[in-house]
Amino acid sequence: MTTAIHQNAPAGDQARDGLRAANDAARTPSESVASIHRLLGAQGYISSEAIATALFIAQSLEKPMLVEGPPGVGKTELAKAVSAITGKPLIRLQCYEGLDEAKALYEWKYSKQLLYTQVLKDKLADVLSGAEGLKASVARLHEFDDTFFSEEFLEPRPLLKALWEPEGAVLLIDEIDKADDEFEAFLLELLSDYQISIPELGTIRARQKPIVFLTSNNTRDLSDALKRRCLHLHIPFPDQALERAIIRSRVPDAEEKLRTQLVAFVQSLREMDLKKVPAISETIDWARTLVLLHARELDRALVENTLNVLLKFQDDIERVGEKLNDLVGKAKSNLR
Amino acid sequence: MTQVLGEFIKALREADVRISPSEVIDAEAVLGLVGYEDRMLLAHGLSQALAKSDADKEAFWDVFDRFFAFAPFTPPEPANSAAGNCDAEEQGPDDQADGDDEEAGVTGMASSGGSGQGSGKATGKGEGKPGDKAGGDQDAGMFGAEGESLTMAEELAQLLEAGDAAHLALRLAEAAQQAGLSDIRFFTQRGMYQWRILQLMGSEELGRWIDQAEGGSNAAAAARATRLRGLRAGLHEQVREYVETQMQLFAGNEGRRLREDMLASQRIGLIERSDMQIMQGLVRKMAKRLVSLHSRRRTKARRGTLDARRTIRANIQFEGVPFHTIWKRTKVDRPRVMLICDVSGSVAQVSRFLLLFLHSLHEVLPEVRSFAFSSNLGEVTELFDNYPPDVAMGRTLQRFGGSTDYGHAFRDFEQLALDDVDRRTTVIILGDARNNNGDPRADILQTIQQRAKRVLFLNPEHRSRWGSGDSVMPIYAAYCNRSISCGSLKELERVVTDLLRTAA
Repeated sequence: MTTAIHQNAPAGDQARDGLRAANDAARTPSESVASIHRLLGAQGYISSEAIATALFIAQSLEKPMLVEGPPGVGKTELAKAVSAITGKPLIRLQCYEGLDEAKALYEWKYSKQLLYTQVLKDKLADVLSGAEGLKASVARLHEFDDTFFSEEFLEPRPLLKALWEPEGAVLLIDEIDKADDEFEAFLLELLSDYQISIPELGTIRARQKPIVFLTSNNTRDLSDALKRRCLHLHIPFPDQALERAIIRSRVPDAEEKLRTQLVAFVQSLREMDLKKVPAISETIDWARTLVLLHARELDRALVENTLNVLLKFQDDIERVGEKLNDLVGKAKSNLR
Repeated sequence: MTQVLGEFIKALREADVRISPSEVIDAEAVLGLVGYEDRMLLAHGLSQALAKSDADKEAFWDVFDRFFAFAPFTPPEPANSAAGNCDAEEQGPDDQADGDDEEAGVTGMASSGGSGQGSGKATGKGEGKPGDKAGGDQDAGMFGAEGESLTMAEELAQLLEAGDAAHLALRLAEAAQQAGLSDIRFFTQRGMYQWRILQLMGSEELGRWIDQAEGGSNAAAAARATRLRGLRAGLHEQVREYVETQMQLFAGNEGRRLREDMLASQRIGLIERSDMQIMQGLVRKMAKRLVSLHSRRRTKARRGTLDARRTIRANIQFEGVPFHTIWKRTKVDRPRVMLICDVSGSVAQVSRFLLLFLHSLHEVLPEVRSFAFSSNLGEVTELFDNYPPDVAMGRTLQRFGGSTDYGHAFRDFEQLALDDVDRRTTVIILGDARNNNGDPRADILQTIQQRAKRVLFLNPEHRSRWGSGDSVMPIYAAYCNRSISCGSLKELERVVTDLLRTAA
């Protein structure tokens, strides 16, 4: 009962997306990395050299990329930026405990199937009319049996959608470490061959190999089998210069002086022993908050009132509060 | 696979980074893509293909820095001007012939960019050889009757005199590769490799020539020989350093591994204080292995409860007629562990490691409660969860150190935690059961055993000594599901593995 659905769809004329174009134009690897860096920058994503290199390699080798790092350093944003550059749709699969293939891959539209059988009940008599005996009726029915298990009744979930996308897609499998081991194993076929086996339909290959990102917060160790199939990128917290560049791009309204100070302040927080240190996303939120408050530079009261944007635990806020004078002073003196 | 990449991966594996063949293939593809031109590009690229965890990344950058270190061959003192002239005359005829080869060699190096010795190995192989031959035929004249066998020496002499660092480095890397330096295992092999490399570079022959020339009648040759003797000594020094760094790279961990192996099987009580740091690392490593082995949560079918949703889903292809039934499954619980540790002088060290071990297994054993006692017993779970092991153990000893009284300790435990012992709990008691002739209170142990899933008694003493003197081990053993003699780290590991495996 296999219906061929888009199997081995011809690649057609390749989508000339930004990444590929950048790659073709550049003569040396270093140049392509630099142009990827520029393209990401144009999307407001300031990348480090490691990130740009990883992207260059991943798309040249057509391999999935496993991105790890503390929360809030821009793992998910990276996939979004790549989607924007390439013009390919971003298909996102958020992982959680209990995620199974029915939610990740495909589902039959039961209700539609049921409805149709009811509606078509009358037609059944017509179809079977003239058939002599049981055997002939069954033979007649056989001619139609795949009707209800065809593409019209298939509800594609993110993974299948990504494979079906004619121009290719950016597939983001977010927080893979939250999913069960079984799901991780299930992904292996997709990651190594860009294909998926569905019992009712057969093996489905990608029309265009999607650009796959997996992100993980390291809540548990991923299996070696999964890691082996991916390139691995670790995004750490950015250094001061990079973070300033990120703030400049994301919160252009923040003035130079404020920007330098707030980044210095956040960087010094990261050196403290806190339950959760602020990530880039918190820095950006904080910068926006400060801009809203028309701040031109940091001062103690201002920081104290807005600290809750930066820190998410009361313990942390109290701990930082004790040293606030020191920290603000240091951030202000640090005008490099 | 290129030689360089192969050796780099060898060095990485030596640094405990696990690399599978498919990752090697990836690395090769990355190499083909980025080439050697841009050092950072190469580093980032390879790190993405080869190092896939934080620890691996750290090891990767360390090895990369050392392996692709651009340690330029510090050129020996350039020959003085007089010698230079003299050389120029001598070399005259072969300058042109050599020219091409030189250039080829140089471009070879340039294309490999800053990657230094490593790439030298790859490119050097091809470029160097023809140079030897071509130069050789014409150089022969200089050494006169000695003939072709001396060409290596002569070339080396010229390189040394010219202070040509790049070519010397190339020759060195080439010789090292021929000598199989990356197979070095023990520091005792250093001398042998150093000698072999020098021989392959032609230094031995050069030495012979020097001896001959110095003793000879030709004044110019004798002067040259004296000069070369100094240069050659410098070369020896550099080869020695090179072998040293390469050994660090390829065998740096060998000695450590041997030592760890020995420590793991030694009785913990006998281990020197200075080795404690290694031991702690070892415990952590063992714990990590066990965590990755047991981090899968197992599920067990709950008999008799139909999982309606999944059954419908599975039978949709049969129009909803349930041919396949699917039963609800429950996750198997992690074992709950209560650890009662004797921390009196005699067994404190073993307790320390068991405590450290179980608390390092937090991911697979989330419910560990630890109690420490000598005579008084108290809970130390918080200490070990929140503080580094040294601090936690220090405070524990401070609070609970002293002479042993099992009876008292069991009484304390009865009051403190007996109510929390249920049929899912595994109680592990670690101690030597030497009760200083006090009341053993085995009745409390019996109650614990009746309530708990099982009671394990770990005794660091050898089985033959149980029951001797003031040991009450035979009495306790009667109320334990298992009593195990457990003195070394390996034995501890076996117990913990067993604990995790039979968790269900």
